[in-house]
Amino acid sequence: MVNRVRRNSIWRRRRLVGYAFIAPVFAFLCAVVLFPLAHAFWTSLMRIRGLSATFVGVQNYERVLGDEAFWHSLAVSLEFTAACVALHIALGLALALLLDQLRFARTALRIAFLTPWMVAPAVGATIWLWLLEPQFGVVNYLLQAAGIVRAPLAWLGEPALAFASVVAVDVWRGVPFVMLLMLAGLQTIPREQYEAAAIDGASAWQRFRYVTLPNLRYLLVVASTLDIINTVRHYDIIGVMTAGGPAGATEVLPVLLYNTAFRGNRFGEAAAIGVLLLAIVLAFSIVHIRITRPEGSASR
Amino acid sequence: MRALRWVVVVAALAVVLFPFYWMVNTSLKPQTEIFRSPPTFASASWSLDAYATVLTQRPVGRYFVNSLAVALGTTALSVVLAALAAYGFTRFFPGGAMPFVVLLLFTKMLPETLLIIPYFRLMSDLGLLNTYLALILAYSSFALPFSVWMLIGFFRSIPRDIDEAAMIDGASYMQAFWKVILPLARPGLVAVALFTFLIAWNSYVWALVLTTDSSMYVLSVGIANMVGEYRVQWNELMAAAVIAALPVMLLYSLLERHLVNAITAGAVKG
Repeated sequence: MVNRVRRNSIWRRRRLVGYAFIAPVFAFLCAVVLFPLAHAFWTSLMRIRGLSATFVGVQNYERVLGDEAFWHSLAVSLEFTAACVALHIALGLALALLLDQLRFARTALRIAFLTPWMVAPAVGATIWLWLLEPQFGVVNYLLQAAGIVRAPLAWLGEPALAFASVVAVDVWRGVPFVMLLMLAGLQTIPREQYEAAAIDGASAWQRFRYVTLPNLRYLLVVASTLDIINTVRHYDIIGVMTAGGPAGATEVLPVLLYNTAFRGNRFGEAAAIGVLLLAIVLAFSIVHIRITRPEGSASR
Repeated sequence: MRALRWVVVVAALAVVLFPFYWMVNTSLKPQTEIFRSPPTFASASWSLDAYATVLTQRPVGRYFVNSLAVALGTTALSVVLAALAAYGFTRFFPGGAMPFVVLLLFTKMLPETLLIIPYFRLMSDLGLLNTYLALILAYSSFALPFSVWMLIGFFRSIPRDIDEAAMIDGASYMQAFWKVILPLARPGLVAVALFTFLIAWNSYVWALVLTTDSSMYVLSVGIANMVGEYRVQWNELMAAAVIAALPVMLLYSLLERHLVNAITAGAVKG
C-alpha cells in the first residue's frame, strides 16, 4: 500500500517531466505528418500554375470525379488489389501450411521464402523487368522451351498481359508477408485440437476445414485488411514496371496520382485524387483497427 | 507423403528465388553474353567485371553512400525521438499510450503518394530539394510511427520498479532513462534501429520526387533510372541490384525472430 502510494507519486509529481519526454515526438509528427497532410488538403482546393495558386474550392474534385480516367483508374485499382490480396492470402496460407509441418531447416526456409519481401520493391521490379524483357528475357525463353508459348510475348506491352505481369510481381513480393503471419498463427493452435480430430477419424482436409481454418479466422481477416491497405496505396512496383501503361491498363490510383502531379503538372487535381485515395485507405484502416484493438497485443 | 511435401517446398522455393538467381547470374556475365540466345544459366566466363564497371564508371558508389546517409540519418532521428516518447508514455502516461499507438497506426497507413505532393512543394519552396535533410524528414514521417510503436512495446516489458528503484537511490528522471532503462532496452533498440534503417533503405517514391539531381539519387531511384537508358546494360544493372539487395537480405536474416512483431503492428495477439 505504502509502496503503491510512493510509486504513483514518483511519476505523478512531475507530469511536466513527462511532457518533456513526449513533446518532441508530437512536435515532430505535427511537422512531418500533420502539416503536410493539411497542406495536401489545401492543395486539393487550389489551382496551381507554376508559382501561382488560386483557390478554386471543390473544382478539382468535380473535375476528377467527372473524368473518365479517374473511374477507370479506380476500377483498375480495385481489380489489382482484389487479385493481389486474394492470391497473397491463398498462396501465403498454403505456403505456411507447407512449412509448418517441416521438421528441420525451418528458420532457413522461412528466411529464404521471405527474400522477395525483404528487397526494395523498386529493385525487385527492376529485376522482373529484365526477366520479362520480350526479346532476351528468360521468362519468354523458358516458356518457349517448355512449349507453352510459340512466339515471345510482349509482357508489358499489351494491356491484359501487363496487368497480369504487375499482379504476378506484386504476388511474388506480397506472399511472404502473409506466410509469416500465418506461420505465427499456426503456432498458436493447440495440438490437442488436432489430436482430438484425428481420434474422431477426421481426414487431412477435415482437419484443415474444422480445426485450422476456424483458428486462423481472426488472423486471416487481419491479414486481409492490412494487405488491402498496403496494396491499394502501393506505387513502387507499377511505377517502375509500366508507369501505368500500356493505355492505362495498370494505372492504379497511386500511379494516376503520381502521373497527374509529376507528369501532368496538375498538383491540385493530384491532391484531390490523393484525398479520395486516403478516404479508401482510411475506411479499411478503421475496420482494421477496430478488429485488432491494439490494447490487447501491445500490452504484451 | 513427407517426401512429396519436400518436393513441393523445393519447387516453390525455386520459383520464388529464381529472379535472384537470374539477377546474380546476369550480373556475372560479360556484356557480350547478355543477348545470347538461348541464355546461359551458368557460364565459364562469369566475372566480377560488371561490378567493377558499376562502381568505377557509374555513380553507383555514390548512390550507395546517399542511401546510407539518408537511412542512417532517418534511423538516428527516429530512434532518438521514439525512445524519448516511448519512455514518456510508458512511465508518465501509461493510460495515454494506447490512444497514441492507434493514432500512430493511422499515420503509418497514410498513402505516401498523397504526402509526396506537399513534400515536393514545401521542399522546393524551402530550397531543400536534392538534400539529405529533405529525404530524412520525409522518411521519418513514416519511419517514426513505426519506431515509436515498436519501442513502446519494448519499454512496457521493462517493469517500472526498476527505474523507481534507481530514482529512490537518487537518480534523476534523465539518469534513470539514460543509465538504467536504455541499457536494458538495448536489444529492442537495436532491432528497431535496424528495421528503421531497412525501411528507409528500401524506400523509393519519396526519393524519386525529392531528388532531381542524379548525384543525389539513392540506390532504388538510381537503379530504376538505369532502365530508362537508351541501351540498357543489363549485367551492370543487375550488379547494381545485387549491391542494393545484399545488405538488406543479410540484415533481415539477422532480424528474423523480430519480424512478425514488426510487420504486423498489433495484428497477432500474443
